[in-house]
Amino acid sequence: MQVRQVELTNRLGLHARACAKIVRVASRFRCSVSLIWNGKRVSARSMVAVMLLAAGVGATIRVETQGPDEVEAMTAMVQLISDQFGEQS
Amino acid sequence: MSFVLHGIGVSGGIAIGRAQLISHATIEVAHYSITPSQVPAEVERLTQAMQAVQKELENLHGAMTAGDAPAEFGAFLDVHWMILTDPTLHETPKRTIAEQLCNAEWALTQQLGVLVEQFDSIEDPYLRERRADVVQVVERVLKVLLGRPGVVRPAAAEEETILVAHDLSPADVIQFKNHHFAAFLTDLGGVTSHTAIVARSLNVPAVVATHNARALIRENELLIVDGGRNVVIVNPDRSVLAEYRLKQDELELERQKLRRLRTTPATTIDGCHVELMANIELPEDLEQARENGAAGVGLFRTEFLFLNRDGLPSEDEQFEAYRTVASGMKGHPVTIRTFDLGADKHKEGLAGLTRVAPNPALGLRAVRFCLAEPRLFLTQLRAILRASHYGAVKILLPMLSSVSEIEQALALIAQAKESLREQRVKFNPGVEVGGMIEIPAAVLSMGAFTPRLDFLSIGTNDLIQYTLAVDRADDAVSQLYDALHPAVIKLIALAITTANRAEVPIAVCGEMAGEARLTRLLLGMGLTNFSMHPAHLLTVKQRVIASDSSLAKPIVQRMRRTDEPARLIALLEKLNA
Repeated sequence: MQVRQVELTNRLGLHARACAKIVRVASRFRCSVSLIWNGKRVSARSMVAVMLLAAGVGATIRVETQGPDEVEAMTAMVQLISDQFGEQS
Repeated sequence: MSFVLHGIGVSGGIAIGRAQLISHATIEVAHYSITPSQVPAEVERLTQAMQAVQKELENLHGAMTAGDAPAEFGAFLDVHWMILTDPTLHETPKRTIAEQLCNAEWALTQQLGVLVEQFDSIEDPYLRERRADVVQVVERVLKVLLGRPGVVRPAAAEEETILVAHDLSPADVIQFKNHHFAAFLTDLGGVTSHTAIVARSLNVPAVVATHNARALIRENELLIVDGGRNVVIVNPDRSVLAEYRLKQDELELERQKLRRLRTTPATTIDGCHVELMANIELPEDLEQARENGAAGVGLFRTEFLFLNRDGLPSEDEQFEAYRTVASGMKGHPVTIRTFDLGADKHKEGLAGLTRVAPNPALGLRAVRFCLAEPRLFLTQLRAILRASHYGAVKILLPMLSSVSEIEQALALIAQAKESLREQRVKFNPGVEVGGMIEIPAAVLSMGAFTPRLDFLSIGTNDLIQYTLAVDRADDAVSQLYDALHPAVIKLIALAITTANRAEVPIAVCGEMAGEARLTRLLLGMGLTNFSMHPAHLLTVKQRVIASDSSLAKPIVQRMRRTDEPARLIALLEKLNA
């Protein structure tokens, strides 16, 4: 299992479009991808669950990947988040 | 049974009509039981409906990528598509159908209720609002299940409809603008809530803060909403109804009388000509402004561009909105205020502002925010400048407090002009630039403002808030908010006198401008330019025509000098006598 803590540095935190990007990336892999924040754990493949995680700006979320391609999945997730979801700064 | 509810009347007038309840899902869903053998068919019905909506979204998406819809719209559909295909929305309702032996609509609505509750407990207001996306997706599915895809609930055509809701979001309110409700009722809200602002701009009665109207009133019940008296009468008996119909007729007669003033020039008895302009929030408000004989747009708020969206409005999108208004006013002035975002304003989709400032009203908002985000500001300035080619556009900068802000903003305007010149885009090089006077500091140092700006506009709402240190949206202190506080009167009079002496045009665009009770006061201070909700234009005009500013001036002089509130009120009564 891979575990990383990532800070949300984009402007609005996990807003709807950022959630959509997370779900899209997580769905590319076979392993399970979980996001943990504020005592809540959700599957990164569920749009509604990720929206309900409600991680705002500056939140540090924990990403866990487990399965055959967990390393690649983690790299992709961390890159997406630290790239601020490709938003213009 | 007839009963009465009390609230705060935030928009006057009387409406009589049938209640239309708005819940989280705007569709009322029936519950019925099914037998175990019907479960597979019911589950299939749900699956089919979801697939139909999925297809609908995909088609829309396809149609859009082919057309020229803004990119944000595509992303928005994308989000809906993902919500729809989320197992959370599929699996639980299917289980509910099997376990509770109920219809698909009911199962889906129950799951929506659970999700909405979870969204409502989110602290971050921006993320909480995303609840709307889930609701919209579920509504689409419900419409398919109910056999009327894409159709908004039909309103009773014969009778007037009164909207009853727990609360209305800015998004709801914008949507309801086109629905012609006869009145609005909400459980929550205050004088400055969005419901209030929109109801006033639509000129329909509204009573807010009724606490439990949504729970007590049933669909289709007959209601009388009396916005002027803060009451709602549910199921009125015949005599009450007759009395209110009479009152309604009287008000209508009064309104008709006012309508005749539409083309009458706004000139006082002593021959002083007054410009009566409209404040507008959306390009669509233009029609109401024209109907009420506005001499121009004195304040075009541009914050609507941020409603219901992620991300920022593009230059072209802004340009289209500004041009519509500029050309729609056919040569009459259109004063476009640059973004006044922050503090009480809704700023969905606006980057950077979701951080909760310790004191938002005193924080990074309006021109401060624009100067801190020059790219966003330049985009807007370019869009406004481009629109200036199509009408008498002016630029209005909100919330100026110092010379350096004026100079920075002017430098950015110059930069925007330069970039347009380089690209050979047409604009009016002589576009006037004005400033809002909303901070006491601006009034007290106006000598530095007048040489640098082409015109000024007093935003009385903020000026009062900053002078008295009172947030009127805060119930606990709102009674201290007082447009007739002696300090407020002195500041407004000083601002008008200073500007008149410097021969820089000055207007009042806050709510004070739309109050007929204060028209003579402002005329007596030397004001000749008023900008207000279009709904108030004719009432104020009626007042102007019946006023003699030469008689008002000496009384207003005395009002300026007094520090006694009671004396001030007595003088105002004398002025209005």
